[in-house]
Amino acid sequence: MVAVMTKALPRAMAAGLLALLAVPGLARPAAAPPSADEMIARAHLAMFYPGEDMRARVTMRLVSRAGGERRRELTMTRRDLQDGGEQRYFIYFHRPPDVRDMTFLVWKYPGRDDDRWLYVPAIKLVRRIAASDRRSSFAGSDFSYEDISGREPEEDTHTLVREEKTGARDAYVVESVPKDPGSVDFGRKLSWIDKATWLPLKEEYYDRRGELARVFTAEEVKAVQGFWTVTKRLMKNVQTGHSTEAVLSDVRYNLKLAPDLFSERALRAPPAELTR
Amino acid sequence: MKCSLFVVAGLLVTAAAGGVAAEEPLPIHGFLQAASAYRLLRPDACPRTQRLACEEEFVLGEGRARLEVEPRGERWGLTVKAELIWDAVAGEVDGDLREGYLDLRFPALDLRAGRQIVTWGVGDLVFINDVFPKDWVAFVSGLPLEYLKKGSDAVSATGHWRGTSVQLVLTPRFEADTLPEAGGRLRFHDPMAAIEARRTDDPSPSLDHLESGLRVFRNLAGWDLSLYAYRGFFRAPAAEVEAGPRLRFFFPPLDVWGASAQGAALGGVVSVEAGYHDSRADRSGRNPAVENSSFRFLAGYQREIVPDLTASGQYYVQAMEDHAAYRRTRGPGMARRPALRHVLTLRLTRLLWHQTLRLGVFALASPNEGDWYVGPEARYQITDAWSATVGVNAFGGPRRSEFGQFEGNANLYAAVRYAF
Repeated sequence: MVAVMTKALPRAMAAGLLALLAVPGLARPAAAPPSADEMIARAHLAMFYPGEDMRARVTMRLVSRAGGERRRELTMTRRDLQDGGEQRYFIYFHRPPDVRDMTFLVWKYPGRDDDRWLYVPAIKLVRRIAASDRRSSFAGSDFSYEDISGREPEEDTHTLVREEKTGARDAYVVESVPKDPGSVDFGRKLSWIDKATWLPLKEEYYDRRGELARVFTAEEVKAVQGFWTVTKRLMKNVQTGHSTEAVLSDVRYNLKLAPDLFSERALRAPPAELTR
Repeated sequence: MKCSLFVVAGLLVTAAAGGVAAEEPLPIHGFLQAASAYRLLRPDACPRTQRLACEEEFVLGEGRARLEVEPRGERWGLTVKAELIWDAVAGEVDGDLREGYLDLRFPALDLRAGRQIVTWGVGDLVFINDVFPKDWVAFVSGLPLEYLKKGSDAVSATGHWRGTSVQLVLTPRFEADTLPEAGGRLRFHDPMAAIEARRTDDPSPSLDHLESGLRVFRNLAGWDLSLYAYRGFFRAPAAEVEAGPRLRFFFPPLDVWGASAQGAALGGVVSVEAGYHDSRADRSGRNPAVENSSFRFLAGYQREIVPDLTASGQYYVQAMEDHAAYRRTRGPGMARRPALRHVLTLRLTRLLWHQTLRLGVFALASPNEGDWYVGPEARYQITDAWSATVGVNAFGGPRRSEFGQFEGNANLYAAVRYAF
């Protein structure tokens, strides 16, 4: 078709068209970089939806500016009801001692508030947790609930800023600006998305005044059963100097977890394989 | 709930043996805790039966060592939580088996036998269908809130079928609420203070006095729905004067029917609970010793206002049946309750410093009876192992009312815990 058109057009215009075709993206449609929206959507799936379900032991180190350290150890399981959609999380806390044996259940729905339950073993109480704010800290760490279970890509406007290497890896740098600025604590976010795995290798959160507030880095990425997994994550609050490192071990995907695991029954009596 | 040190030691050894049978080394957990509560108000007048309560400066002064061993297998688990308590005010040492039960797990059935804590209902310090034993002395004295709940020596079976669960709790051994009593350390309203001779009739251990509770629950569209039924006894004793004169305490029969619902709505969590307390021995309401039947209703709302600041409020109403008969049978010195008791509660919880500092306040008041309770508390998690708590328990209102009677126990409490 292009050939037919060139015949009918003056040379100058034809030259212009050829110049356009020379732009790499247009010349090779198959390798065209996806839109920024698609990049974030793919990163969202790669980070928060690999496999149908998963289980991992998570060790978090909370380090204050002064170097004081606290540890949180938990077993996390996740089951997807559909890719990119509804999810269920079940968490068993191993330590510190004051939260040992506590269990936590989240039913996550895209587009509306989660249902959350916390089980307090000391008084055998299942307590419903108000979940209106997904930016709340998870277990006192620098990770918010949203950092752990993902932020809906549709909540922000995404723009591809540039492409660059981070470490040895080629990445797209995407800027995300919340559509509803009042709903979140950041004004904008920059994500470095790995071209090969689609995992976010680094994220910078800027506060509403434009100052850098928090930095996420994927410190270690491993393939587990064919799924690229960030097995060591660091979230640093550059304004307070506090940081949290989360290390995932014993990661398993596609365990065929029973729906029953994400119920009040499991909250009260978590299966033995989670509590060890 | 106290039992001999030997029983506690024996159970710990059994649990340890169970741990040896399990494949992995058995972790031992627990804590050491020192707690005390200083009485803030000195009463001016004091009945003879409460002389100790009027003289004692400390409502609480104790050291506690807790050991927890929980060997678990695929299909079974054993839980033993035992405490050694040194009461510094009384100069006594005692042991307490807080929980000690065996769990068996089948594909659609969970069995639990032994001393266990059972918590039902959606109320926050307001109980309608949670008819299980409570320790109000621990609550008033400033012990950590978990001590408000006491274990039941019971068998519990929970069956699960297509998302619906049914729990049956059978309790052969009756356990009363722990309430302030004559000669104890707490002030309370004692209408029969002049009668010092007292005895208590325990409904245990006869088998026709078996208590049974049934709960049917399921989640429907994100809402937790429960139905409850209970046949047993009032946990607080009724009192009548016998020849002597002597005061006889006994536990009248009680049936409870109720329901609750809890779910996410209006940007927070909404809770609703209702129940009917059927006082089987006094359906006419004419027996002055036995509490009348009542209908109870609770509505609550909880919301995270900003990250790490949560507020919740409840409205509770208790409607007494046969109030006219009740009014006619009141003797001198006895409390006269209105037909309706309204209660409002408010709780604010603020988490600071990466959730290591928790500031909270719980307030409860009855606008029509005039009694109230306020409990501000600060808890700091110094390290992962050490924590410290300070708080105040304050009560007020007419001296015969539910919380007003505890006014003289207002205290400033502090506790330090090392957990492992």
